[in-house]
Amino acid sequence: MDTSDHVVEPGSVSRRAFVAGAASVGVAAWARRAAAQPKATITYWNGLTGADGKVMDELIDRFTRETGIRIEQQRLPWADLYAKLQVAVPAGEGPDLALIHTVEVPHFANDGVLEAIDDATTTGKGFRGEDYLPATWQGGTFQGKRYSLPLDVPQHILYLNMKVMKDGGLVGADGRPRVPASRDELVTMAKRLTKADTFGFAIGTVNPGRYTWGFHNLLWQNGANIYSADLKRAGVTDPAALEVAGFWEALPNQHKVVPPANTSCRDAFIAGRLGMWIAGSWNFSGLREAKVDFVAVPMPRLFKQAVVWAMPHQYSFPKPKAADRAKREAAWAHVRWMTDNVAEWTLKAGQVSASRKAHGDPRITGDPVLRALLAQAPSWQVGQPTPKWVAAENVTRPVIEAIYTGQKPARAAMEDLARQINALPD
Amino acid sequence: MSRQTRVAYAFLAPGLLLFAVYRLYPLLEGLRLSFTNARLGRASEQWIGLANYTRLLEDGRFHVSLWNTAFYTVASTLPILAVPLALALALNRGRLRTLLRSVFFFPFTLSVVTVGLAWLWLLDPVVGPFNYYLRGLGVPARSWLADPQTAMWTIILTTVWWVTGYYLVIYLAGLQDIPRDLYEAAALDGASAWRSFWTITLPLLRPVLLFVVVTHVIGSFQLFGQVFVLTGGGPGDATRTVVQHLYEAAFQNFFQFGAASAMAWVLFAVILVFSMLQFRLLRGHTEY
Repeated sequence: MDTSDHVVEPGSVSRRAFVAGAASVGVAAWARRAAAQPKATITYWNGLTGADGKVMDELIDRFTRETGIRIEQQRLPWADLYAKLQVAVPAGEGPDLALIHTVEVPHFANDGVLEAIDDATTTGKGFRGEDYLPATWQGGTFQGKRYSLPLDVPQHILYLNMKVMKDGGLVGADGRPRVPASRDELVTMAKRLTKADTFGFAIGTVNPGRYTWGFHNLLWQNGANIYSADLKRAGVTDPAALEVAGFWEALPNQHKVVPPANTSCRDAFIAGRLGMWIAGSWNFSGLREAKVDFVAVPMPRLFKQAVVWAMPHQYSFPKPKAADRAKREAAWAHVRWMTDNVAEWTLKAGQVSASRKAHGDPRITGDPVLRALLAQAPSWQVGQPTPKWVAAENVTRPVIEAIYTGQKPARAAMEDLARQINALPD
Repeated sequence: MSRQTRVAYAFLAPGLLLFAVYRLYPLLEGLRLSFTNARLGRASEQWIGLANYTRLLEDGRFHVSLWNTAFYTVASTLPILAVPLALALALNRGRLRTLLRSVFFFPFTLSVVTVGLAWLWLLDPVVGPFNYYLRGLGVPARSWLADPQTAMWTIILTTVWWVTGYYLVIYLAGLQDIPRDLYEAAALDGASAWRSFWTITLPLLRPVLLFVVVTHVIGSFQLFGQVFVLTGGGPGDATRTVVQHLYEAAFQNFFQFGAASAMAWVLFAVILVFSMLQFRLLRGHTEY
């Protein structure tokens, strides 16, 4: 028997040792190569053009440091973003990840712009419906399929300008402002605050006359909606909707407590010319920066039910030209990371999370505005799941402005709106 | 074909190619789309003949847009002709003319969005300085852009402010082309400045006036930026223009490229008719 294999001469290496050594060197080299190999770079489109964009940049930098995944962001105004998605995705030029508003999900899903996410993938990545508020989780679906995952919840809230409230005698001895508990009370208080160039109440940010989100909120509070429950016809001529339109008409024309259309309500509030302001939660960090003395309280119930308009941001995966597993996994990694770190997003960007997990964070519950936003979470409602929602909103804008400016009586305007909505193409 | 002609075509070819690819093809493709139900996101498109055009006959908002656009075009033409001309006459001579020309030209260097946002703030009914000073004068503040009676006039005012500098420069170039000896001869004959203006300046500025009117009318029919930023077409539809209607059909409401292309071709036809009318009315040979 040849034993040469087993004979180890001094200073020499056995074959087994050599093979083992070579293998370990090989494994180490492979591991080094794998580690050195650049992680995927993904493209991410969003419309976070305000201060929230800077916060997103910070968090993405952190994400890249922790995971090695690079993100190339493209940020443009929401309306432009949606037009671009609609054009770019069918051409195979879409991003790997897009942040969109809930009401955009149905039409993008219907037009094949978004990729459906199956339940197994959602669960496998650790996303479960019970971790989210129902309105936000449900908003990511269309016709029974999931197309997106909610991140946060921009929503309405009532801001009270303490200077104006004090001047109007609506602050108690305890320093707390009076909060309207009904529509009549709101009008009475607003009348008390309105004088010369100061207005008691406004709903909307830059042009209250065209503020569809505010109008929707009032419709929902009165149990009405843009479409009927079966989504087949316009619901804006239902008695409950007409009642809301009448209130919309009365605010500037009869009660005269709101600023004219085309007013920047945000600037008016900052300048101390507006007392009570229903507006988006995204305004509060700017108000703090501007050092406005204000208090934020939950959206008051002005009609039948305490509904709060909400428009959750949703993470979606636009259909790629060709499947790229590495990029998709990297995009999922970012969504997971943001969901796990959503408390940071809430604290810095001022948007409360769709996921319940961060709601108990003491840093969040310790902030009075965030606390007020969370308090109204059970009342969140989103737009109806129809691909026509956005188009219906576009035709609503001039109609409600015509009511607000007194160009058209409320009933006639709503009948005209119903005709326009019913005529929208499929 | 002579060698010279071939060389000429060779030099023209790159330009013609670009024109064909980026101008002619989109134009003709738009015409084709206008006879279809093309919509982004729809798997296929069908030939629907003149349906997009006949639908425009029933589209009340399109009629309003067309009327608003025509109103803007007519109402803005006189100030656009007169204000820069008056300034040009004032600045044609004088020590500070170079500085003042730059001052007047400055607004035109701004983008339409910048101009729109600046005026939006200036005219804000609550915090805008315009209303602040009016209140100081005892005039009640009003929302110029939210009142259907004043909204379009306010847009015209902002546009005149914006483009005056551009037309001023064109007028000045035209004025400086008019031989001085004509004015001297008129003065010797005892003509007043007013008479010189009517009998020398205006007739000899005819080519410049034609250019200003034609370019302004074409631009007016395409009015969009100012309206989009200042009023969004409101209040109601009081300042809604054809291009805004077209834009919304194409990019906001279901990406109806077929319907939007039909609107674009109707607009094209209107502009063509107006331009031809202007050429016919203002044509004439001008000799110095």
